[in-house]
Amino acid sequence: MTTHAADAESAGKKYKVRQKVGQAALYVTVAAVSLLTVFPVYWMAVSTFQPNKYTLHFPPPLFPQEITVTQFAELFGHHPIALWLRNSFLIAVMAMLLCTALSVLGAYALSSLRWKGRSTFGLFLLVTQMLPEILVLIPLYVIYRRLNMLNSLPALSLIDAAFILPICIWILKGVFDTVPPEVLDAAVVDGCTELSVVWRIVLPLSAPGLVAVAVVSFFFAWNEYLYASILLGKAEFMPASVGLSTLKAIASTPVEQYMAAGMIFSILPVLFYLTMQRYIVSGLTAGAVKG
Amino acid sequence: MTDLAAGRGFDPSTGSGHRKLNPSEQTNTPARARKRIHWLPYALVLPIILYEGLLIVYPIAQGIYGSFTRIELASKNPPVWVGWDNYARMFRDPEFWKVIQTTLTFTGLVIFVALGAGLCTALLFNRPFRARPVARGMLMMPWALPEVPVVMIFIWILSPQFGVVNILARMLPGVAENPQWLQVPGLAMGWMVLIASWKAFPFYSLVILAALQAVPQELYEAAKVDGASPFQLFWNITVPGIGTTLELLVVLASIFSFKQFTIIYLMTGGGPSGATETIVIRIYNTAFRFYDYSYATALGVAGFVVSLVIGIFFVILQARRAQENA
Repeated sequence: MTTHAADAESAGKKYKVRQKVGQAALYVTVAAVSLLTVFPVYWMAVSTFQPNKYTLHFPPPLFPQEITVTQFAELFGHHPIALWLRNSFLIAVMAMLLCTALSVLGAYALSSLRWKGRSTFGLFLLVTQMLPEILVLIPLYVIYRRLNMLNSLPALSLIDAAFILPICIWILKGVFDTVPPEVLDAAVVDGCTELSVVWRIVLPLSAPGLVAVAVVSFFFAWNEYLYASILLGKAEFMPASVGLSTLKAIASTPVEQYMAAGMIFSILPVLFYLTMQRYIVSGLTAGAVKG
Repeated sequence: MTDLAAGRGFDPSTGSGHRKLNPSEQTNTPARARKRIHWLPYALVLPIILYEGLLIVYPIAQGIYGSFTRIELASKNPPVWVGWDNYARMFRDPEFWKVIQTTLTFTGLVIFVALGAGLCTALLFNRPFRARPVARGMLMMPWALPEVPVVMIFIWILSPQFGVVNILARMLPGVAENPQWLQVPGLAMGWMVLIASWKAFPFYSLVILAALQAVPQELYEAAKVDGASPFQLFWNITVPGIGTTLELLVVLASIFSFKQFTIIYLMTGGGPSGATETIVIRIYNTAFRFYDYSYATALGVAGFVVSLVIGIFFVILQARRAQENA
């Protein structure tokens, strides 16, 4: 009887020890993974805020030794960062408006309506979503050149919106799908027309989805590099993604300014992508994964 | 207006000719009740079809046409029809085959590394532990970061003079000097794969995690009672449970890595000596560095065919997956 209890106790202890070791291993692994994903970002911050006498030294200290903020003023003084950010902002706003408006139409047609050609339309969106941007770029460049649309911010936002639109439609379709059909039916009974159902019921109920679509399209255009680098040749139209890529670390731009530029550019997209990840995942997988 | 629409949209096969519905009918067929304006969906998607048609389909058609011509943008001459010349040149071009090889290597490695990392981290994050939301936020960091800053950070981290990665490299036996990370073909390719995977894997991790959480817990409980080992649990419950998701992600990952442009182009431009020149980079260089538009469009058509094939796979898997979800 006593030996039995002791056995049970030691077995319980063993189990507890094993569980503790397992827990410790779990935390260590999680810490290692987090280090791997966050270190480059951390290093950007360290290289931004530290005077370069520390960073331009090998091996560099892994923790910041001193903090300065003058590099931001120097960055804006030496490079047309403000102009670049302004251009990026304008392109992004135009792409956002266009894309959000069009995705409401497409998402409603895909979500709430049954019609012939619905799955063909979905297929059409999927295929356009899968195409590498470069395939469209060369002929588009020739067309834009002929139509005198190079070096125009609205013209660039047109193509940006075209590339992100399918993903936005999938995001919004997923959100529209969650509006209970009974609510819509009740509205029709109460005398709403088909279009005012969208306007008065579906859209207000899908406000978070609309925000997600706006954010996704805004930052797609904000981040986009390839089209901007070819379709906007003149320095005055350069958006930040292209402008930043012209900075050369150490060679012509001091490292702390170089990294400060990267930080300024990324702060907003990082915050919004992290908040909206659920929606973006559902959009990128065309609704196959709800995130 | 409604009558006209109803008349045009009348479909005898479904028998939904009654446009004016009374409340009792609506309660019987609530989903049908609202389908009153038959042309509405077409009116809704028309602007989208036109928009995507003008900006994406039309340029691609132009590109396909252009690949059979000789285009000289500098001169005012119209394109000259040359038939299959550009394609004949492509198939004879040894560099084209090298580019295909590089593309396959890059794409294959990124699929493997990014999905592997995504699967491992998803399994890790599927376990309960304190601070999991914070750790998950940190995990998503690379994915949330735009590509251009990613490039900037890694150019700095890989700097042969001051790059912080050299601290680790120096710990390896036989490394006495900081390597020229992006000047050595094998190393450059390795870094392109690692950086592209680093940027992409959190997305895969998130998707796999969602799939893991949908696997019914009772299955694990029941199998544990029956004395199944952790490996058996993984192989017989987890793998089948997330199988379709993994299939979908393999296809999605091959599309994403096949499309990868910004990271490679801004870090190596395809070099050193073509070691990282995937077909996407090659098309860009041919068009905008060598101004050989016609040949670039032919390469573009080759790329189009490849992405179309992968795209079809995606469509099939996605449809299957959507059916399962429904």
